[in-house]
Amino acid sequence: MQAFKFSLAATAVALMLSTTAAMAQTEVRFTHSFTGGASRVALDTIIAGFEAANPDIKIKEIVFDDDQYSNQGLITQLKSNEVPDIFFEWAGLRVQRNVEAGYAYDLSEAMATDGWKESFSPSVWTDGAGTMVDGKPYMVPLSFDLTNTIWYNKTIFAEHNLTPPKTWDEFVALAKTLADAGETPIVEGNNEFWPLGNWAGHIAAMVVPPDEYVAAFKQEGPFNTSAFEKALELLVQLHDVGAFNKDMQALGADPAMATFFQEGAVMHPIGSWLVSETENLAEEGFEYSQFNTPVIDPAHPLANSVIGTITGLMVHKNSAHPDEAIKFLKYLTSQESQIAWAESGQMSPVAGVSEKAKLDEQTQAMLALMSGAPAIVPPPDTTYPVPVAEAFYQAAAYAAAGEKSAKEALVWLDETVTAMGKQ
Amino acid sequence: MAIEDRAAPISSGAGNLWFAAPAMLLFGTFVLWPLGASVYYAFTFWDGFSAPRWAGFANFARGLTDITYLMSYVHVVLYILATLVFEVSFGLVMAVLLNSDRPGFALMRGMFFSPVVLSMSAGGVLWTFVLDYRTGLLNSVLKALGLGDWAQPWMSQPETALLFICLVSGWKYAGFYMVIFFAALRRIPKNIYEAARLDGANALHQFFHVTLPMLRQNILVCVLLAVMGGFAGFDLFFTMSNGQPFGATEVPATWIIKQAFDQDQIGYGVALTVILTVVVSLISIVYIRLSERANVTRY
Amino acid sequence: MSRATERRRSPAEWLQFGIAAVIVAAMFYPAIWMVYSAFKTNREIFRTPFALPKEWQWGNLIEAWEVGKLGTLYLNSVFITTAAVAMCVLLATAAAFAFTRLEFPGRRLMYRLLLVGLLIPPPSVAIALFTQLRDMHLLNTPWALILPCAAWQLALTVFLMRAYFNAVRPEMEEAARLDGANVWQILWHVSVPMVWPAMLTMIVLNTIAVWNELLFALLFITDDSQRTLPVGLVRFSGYHSTDYALVFAALAITTVPILILYFILQKQVIAGLTATAMD
Repeated sequence: MQAFKFSLAATAVALMLSTTAAMAQTEVRFTHSFTGGASRVALDTIIAGFEAANPDIKIKEIVFDDDQYSNQGLITQLKSNEVPDIFFEWAGLRVQRNVEAGYAYDLSEAMATDGWKESFSPSVWTDGAGTMVDGKPYMVPLSFDLTNTIWYNKTIFAEHNLTPPKTWDEFVALAKTLADAGETPIVEGNNEFWPLGNWAGHIAAMVVPPDEYVAAFKQEGPFNTSAFEKALELLVQLHDVGAFNKDMQALGADPAMATFFQEGAVMHPIGSWLVSETENLAEEGFEYSQFNTPVIDPAHPLANSVIGTITGLMVHKNSAHPDEAIKFLKYLTSQESQIAWAESGQMSPVAGVSEKAKLDEQTQAMLALMSGAPAIVPPPDTTYPVPVAEAFYQAAAYAAAGEKSAKEALVWLDETVTAMGKQ
Repeated sequence: MAIEDRAAPISSGAGNLWFAAPAMLLFGTFVLWPLGASVYYAFTFWDGFSAPRWAGFANFARGLTDITYLMSYVHVVLYILATLVFEVSFGLVMAVLLNSDRPGFALMRGMFFSPVVLSMSAGGVLWTFVLDYRTGLLNSVLKALGLGDWAQPWMSQPETALLFICLVSGWKYAGFYMVIFFAALRRIPKNIYEAARLDGANALHQFFHVTLPMLRQNILVCVLLAVMGGFAGFDLFFTMSNGQPFGATEVPATWIIKQAFDQDQIGYGVALTVILTVVVSLISIVYIRLSERANVTRY
Repeated sequence: MSRATERRRSPAEWLQFGIAAVIVAAMFYPAIWMVYSAFKTNREIFRTPFALPKEWQWGNLIEAWEVGKLGTLYLNSVFITTAAVAMCVLLATAAAFAFTRLEFPGRRLMYRLLLVGLLIPPPSVAIALFTQLRDMHLLNTPWALILPCAAWQLALTVFLMRAYFNAVRPEMEEAARLDGANVWQILWHVSVPMVWPAMLTMIVLNTIAVWNELLFALLFITDDSQRTLPVGLVRFSGYHSTDYALVFAALAITTVPILILYFILQKQVIAGLTATAMD
């Protein structure tokens, strides 16, 4: 009897202990910069769903403000003792740099199982997509980003009998009409240079011959060429008709977006993320749409291109729980999760999602634009060395603000790029 | 720094090290050591990600020809001069003005000091809103007064941006200097003022011939603090403009941080810091020598 | 001094009061404006910036508290600030005592090294400090802030404490020495009670500095649950930057307590600085 009781007790204890062990949670650290908006809500819902289905895994989100994230928020975590298991990144040079520095986990094996790789649209695995290095996938794509398009206030356009312009000259004339009528045609919050810079990068890509463009950014050729000058002249043109808001250089990107939503300006060139902010910032009845930067030079190979990139998630090479992290990423990129993701205003890279999801008209329009575009130009600051891209952005700002002529800005740009040495 | 002219020490010997040791240990570990480690990085090309590559003096050469960096010194000197007006002098004047035991004055002294207590984030957000072009308080006031033409994008114009940062800095820190001078004023014996008054001196005369001379040491120390603090100025510039527009409000500290974090040029950023430290040290040493020679202050 | 308050005010004194009041009101108005704007709706802030709120939106405060998770941030800030300030002021007092009242090898060198700390902008060693804290396994802990903040405040604190020690005559300490007390006893039982006002002043000044410290807090602590108030605020205003009502509410919640604390301790600060006098 004693022995039996004893073994019963022992079994009970063993059972308890093993259950506790099973209940011990694995914590997966996930860092990103989705601070709010509809997409954050969608993400949190997906995470909750995953945790409910996998009680032994807990996802811990470490969120940074967008600019802080890309400047010091991410790098401090990557180099710390407690590395993030999953981190948000932009495709292109940044992925490559992470791989070279030893922060990236090779996802080849994971992608090969369960047809994960094939579940994505084939365009995310092309050479130019920037998700792979040496043929191996390192990034799990999460969204297509339309880096820059021109959002406009439909109501004000109607008031002035305006329609989206087809050519650049029409665009300038349109801006002039609005300026003369006392409106602020374009609002841009350029105190960090990238909003206007991205747009300028796109404009330049549609004016400058592709080889010359790439060579300049790779520091293999000069910026001070007649083609680049023509590109910056276009910005000066806009400045001369009074198209830009006077406080462009001191205004932040978020306040500029809010100004657009509060009808303080008619147009706002910025990226696709504007859509998920509409709920928060726009008044009832605010009607808006967007048009791509109009054609400048019909003969140019990239004439009807859009500027965009892929954003997604990477797993840290030194992650303590790569399997759990990958499990979560598979869940996040499943059809069901992606439908919720798309409906929050994102363009999903997973095949078939866009057809099934109930997308708002803005996201639909952007998708149509991106998939119909003959080419996608990647933004300079995630494709080429950051200091060079930033210098170009600054030259564009000089031109758009009327501080320097196009030529002067390019002379300055070449001097700056030379002085910084090969990056 | 002459510390010889003090009273004889009450104890001598190596055992006394123990009193200063904990502070020096803490200071050495978290201030001097990272500074020394940083100096190594000044001689490398490093983006913070990959391994550092040796650069020799390349970063220093680049720094000395970097126009924005050199201009940042001009801006910071202008800022320091403005500080001497808007913070030190203003603080001094207010200390005299608020030097009274009448009811209400203590409260006013507190109110004047209160901006010092606020954090930079609070001050920065507040003033960014006040100076906003479309919706800001300042432009709204101007429009309300019928001076709508004067409304400008204050922080977007190179000419006015630096000026406004100096004004906001004055708003924030004048109280600090006011308190220091006020404390010193309280120690001036009343009978000196009585004597001056009996001699026929009016208030203004008293200020220049009694108050100022008695406060000479304080003024010199405050100027030193303002100069050294000015060179290190970062928080306010970062929050309000971060060097915009077009580097018109760039000061050494903001430019350094930009290089290290935004531009991934950590080696270069550290080299610039080394140059800055050398410059500030030289200025401080010269200043200290001069004021010691005037036999006014002991360090 | 009591005679001054009994006498009637002369016209000159009224003028002094008037001018001072106008200037002080102008200085203080932005803070007041921020606080009562916190109780408005966004529309009101833009349309009628000066007016008092039509209806006092207390909900803004509650929303700011919850959205910004200000409760946790407060606790973290309080703990870190208290620890850092205590450490700094105690160590600085002992060091200032040593630099002024004692003699030992390396005294002048050490003091000059300490002054170097006044010259260096903290941002410049941020990365090296980060690497160092990581190697010490202190990242993401309160100590990642407590120790560096205390260290970086030492330079100014020692500088000011030393000025105070120099201003106070060493007679009491010399007398105690003659009575046979050892240095440790002199420090604790004679010097500290004497320099207490200056220590109080340094406590207040250091509290302000550490409480508001932003850069190190941003870099060295990443977990939400460990963050301090300034970092939370920056994130807050970055994302919600146009929801001014909410931002002002958050700012009001975080600054009003400090202001109240300052007003309460104001007398001590003045008393401490009165004696510091720096001569």
